[in-house]
Amino acid sequence: MGFESDGLDQMYQEVILEASRARNGSEHFAPDLADESEDTRGAAGEAGGAAGSAGASGSSTFQVTHEYCVPGESHQFNPTCGDEATVRVELTDGSDGGPRRIERLVWDGHGCSISQASLSIMHDLVEGKTVDEAMHLFDLFHGLMESRGKGLDSDEEMDELEDAVAFQGASKYPMRIKCALLGWEGMRASTAQALARLDATA
Amino acid sequence: MVDFDAIRAQFPILDQEIHGHPFVYLDSGATAQKPECVIDAESEFYRTINAGVHRGAHELAARSTEAFEHARAQVARLVNANAEEGGEEIVVTPGATGGLNELAIAIGNASLGRGGEAAKRFAVGPGDSIVVSKAEHHSVLLPFQELAARTGATLRWLDLTEDGRVRTDNVDEVIDETTKIVAVTHVSNVTGAITDVPTLVRRAHEVGALFILDACQSVPHIPVDVKALDVDFACWSAHKMYGPTGVGFLYGKRELLEALPPANFGGSMVELAWMDRPAQYMEPPARFEAGTQPVAQVVAAGVAAEWMMKIGVENIAEHERTLTHELLRIGDLDGFRILGPRDEKDRIGTVAFDVEGVHPHDVGQFVDAQGIAIRVGHHCAQPVHRHFGLYASNRVSCGVYNSVDDVQRLLDVLGGVREYFLGR
Repeated sequence: MGFESDGLDQMYQEVILEASRARNGSEHFAPDLADESEDTRGAAGEAGGAAGSAGASGSSTFQVTHEYCVPGESHQFNPTCGDEATVRVELTDGSDGGPRRIERLVWDGHGCSISQASLSIMHDLVEGKTVDEAMHLFDLFHGLMESRGKGLDSDEEMDELEDAVAFQGASKYPMRIKCALLGWEGMRASTAQALARLDATA
Repeated sequence: MVDFDAIRAQFPILDQEIHGHPFVYLDSGATAQKPECVIDAESEFYRTINAGVHRGAHELAARSTEAFEHARAQVARLVNANAEEGGEEIVVTPGATGGLNELAIAIGNASLGRGGEAAKRFAVGPGDSIVVSKAEHHSVLLPFQELAARTGATLRWLDLTEDGRVRTDNVDEVIDETTKIVAVTHVSNVTGAITDVPTLVRRAHEVGALFILDACQSVPHIPVDVKALDVDFACWSAHKMYGPTGVGFLYGKRELLEALPPANFGGSMVELAWMDRPAQYMEPPARFEAGTQPVAQVVAAGVAAEWMMKIGVENIAEHERTLTHELLRIGDLDGFRILGPRDEKDRIGTVAFDVEGVHPHDVGQFVDAQGIAIRVGHHCAQPVHRHFGLYASNRVSCGVYNSVDDVQRLLDVLGGVREYFLGR
């Protein structure tokens, strides 16, 4: 190949490139910001005097696949590179008597291999976990991405992150930390939204 | 015959290694590197001349004023604007974005009736249209979109051809009797295409509209003659033409600058101020230069303009045409698509491209690991990217210091991108 350098190969580990292609948990349900028809309102070539804002965010509700679940959704966007992810979670409503759990997590988005791989690996890690476990993993992953390439001090904590430890290499590059965190932020925000819904109906 | 190797040697920043490789800078569209004479001019100003301009009676105040006005005259000469005292047509702005916003706000003020009878020619309102193009940088699109929203005017735009040029075949439909302002880029910062400005200016003036040119990507690369183009206003930044950041220039035809109301208010732009009477503002350019100006940067920008003229802007353009010819070979790489004209005609050495299956962020990281700096993202021009069905792209843009060797190194590295990300 002739083009590898240590830093590059540490960032783009095999597990990351594979996950970016596997895209576990991805589905198509969000509008595409790169689609011209999404931004042209009214007659072609002319917009009204009142400039509207393209509403790509918001707290829309979607149909849950399990009747004992509450939905939460979050749209995450990195305007500098256009990486975009909408994360949807379904939280158990507690009717089974157990702790609240992420019954289902799906995402739609596009972006660089780091962001896409991180979403895929995050999906595999947190789906089925309790909210407390998922937030614990969020904290660990956040810590890893803030480690500037050094990783977490505790080997046990590194083990808990499973495949997500592969992003240690990316944490050396300040420009890429946001890419890796995009999906995790979406998971946290969508979970928070579902929890708020549960509290509101409690 | 210009010795471009000797010119390259004037850029100290290029003499370093990045990630263990000789540095290749191909992101001049974002900001150009600075020759030694520009770097020296800025620090020399602070060492020997620094003082407030257009105020104070001491010797250095006089010298700094002289240096400031000399720089203005050099910049005027670069684009063939008037420079003689009392007829100045160059206004110092805080960058091109600052200039375009200042202009849009000033036109908005005229639309509110500010500036009296003379300013009525700028007024826009309901029933009027403002025309931009889909190739605009957000710095053109947004100030004029906002102006339309504030005044009730309608925003229209010129579409793009398949290869990303501003369409002029339907110019008579888009620019019509309702059109009061046409604001269009001279050269797209994404496609590198040079707009057919004469056709647009002719039509704009035919219907009595003002023509505003975004010259950010043209002034550093091709000869720009504001008189020959007959544009009414033009904005560009100093840092893309080898000058410092934080400064830009607004060209305006003298009679228009004299009629335009100010957008920013404060010190150094007013002749008489009272508590109970309207203020009397100064003549241009001072009317549009409120507050303390970035004097050292303006002086250094003047040196940059002189430096460009010494090389000869046509020589710079010729050198960059050679580089453009080589850069367009990117389109021959398997899975690479150039976003913009594939031929060298009417374009500059700014080439955006998409790599099938590999996100721009990853491409940028890959070439950076080899010491090559390119731009990735939407380059502050999202509508152009949507035109190509994309959100982001890769962009290489050359400057006077680049060589055919730089381009060859880029091509060699790009040739390995798809194998690295898709072939393993």
